[in-house]
Amino acid sequence: MYGWIWRQLPGNAWVKALISIVLVLAVVYVLFQYVFPWAEPLLPFNDVTVDNQ
Amino acid sequence: MAATADETEEHTAVPESGPTPQNRGRGRIALAVSVFGELLITAGLVLGLFVVYSLWWTNVVADRAAHKEGDKVRDGWAAGQDTGPGALDTRDGIGFLHVPSMRNGEVLVEKGTSTKVLNDGVAGYYVDPVKATLPTSGKAGNFALAAHRDGHGAKFHNIDKVREGDPIVFETKDKWYVYKVYAILPETSKYNVKVLGSVPRESGKKKAGHYITLTTCTPVYTSRYRYVVWGELVRVDAVDGKRTPPKELS
Repeated sequence: MYGWIWRQLPGNAWVKALISIVLVLAVVYVLFQYVFPWAEPLLPFNDVTVDNQ
Repeated sequence: MAATADETEEHTAVPESGPTPQNRGRGRIALAVSVFGELLITAGLVLGLFVVYSLWWTNVVADRAAHKEGDKVRDGWAAGQDTGPGALDTRDGIGFLHVPSMRNGEVLVEKGTSTKVLNDGVAGYYVDPVKATLPTSGKAGNFALAAHRDGHGAKFHNIDKVREGDPIVFETKDKWYVYKVYAILPETSKYNVKVLGSVPRESGKKKAGHYITLTTCTPVYTSRYRYVVWGELVRVDAVDGKRTPPKELS
């Protein structure tokens, strides 16, 4: 899978490496900004109040 | 172009003798296994990132938000806005909580205990299921608060360091409300809303009084139970011109 992505990237190894880093950062950004904030309330780690639910 | 072709050969692990039908089948299985393995590695990395997110990044974001809000409240006080009884602006913070034994400085207190409020790195006073009695109202009752144990500022992370007799100080524009911890419940059900009662009987009190209740989750990193700390109002000091803190905080 990652080998396939690597082969799809244009340019020589350096350009590929650079693009890969940018892609990784983009994925991390999307995870931190959108995916994790969405997933967190669904997981039972951070309920601090007492309630009737 | 030649290099690309070489790599293709290398990665799909096709032997030099050239593809025979049998080899192709084996290559396909190898490919499937390697994709599956890479997916597992990816899942592991994402879970690791989630830990980083919840234990570090949410603190960064929450502390930033809390500082901004706290500065706004302090600026408002300094500007001398009328936040006296009745004119209390509950949209912003109502004051700061100081618990020296938690060693985390001041914690802004805002209205409500929804995720949205608490994720800003503040302590929230309950409006549901039990409405907390604000100390500024002067009425007898329970000032019940909640804050995160981990992540999102983790304002009550060190709640287990609080001992009986420790001070809890709530700071408003013109009063210091000094409470003293008198009871601790290290573990209770999350459905136990009685701990928030205006007279928290589980703490051993029978009569109406001015109480404060801190709730958060326990054990650390989970939400299985709730940790409760109760305090009772000892005295109320007026804030002087220099905002000299009461002796409990110095």
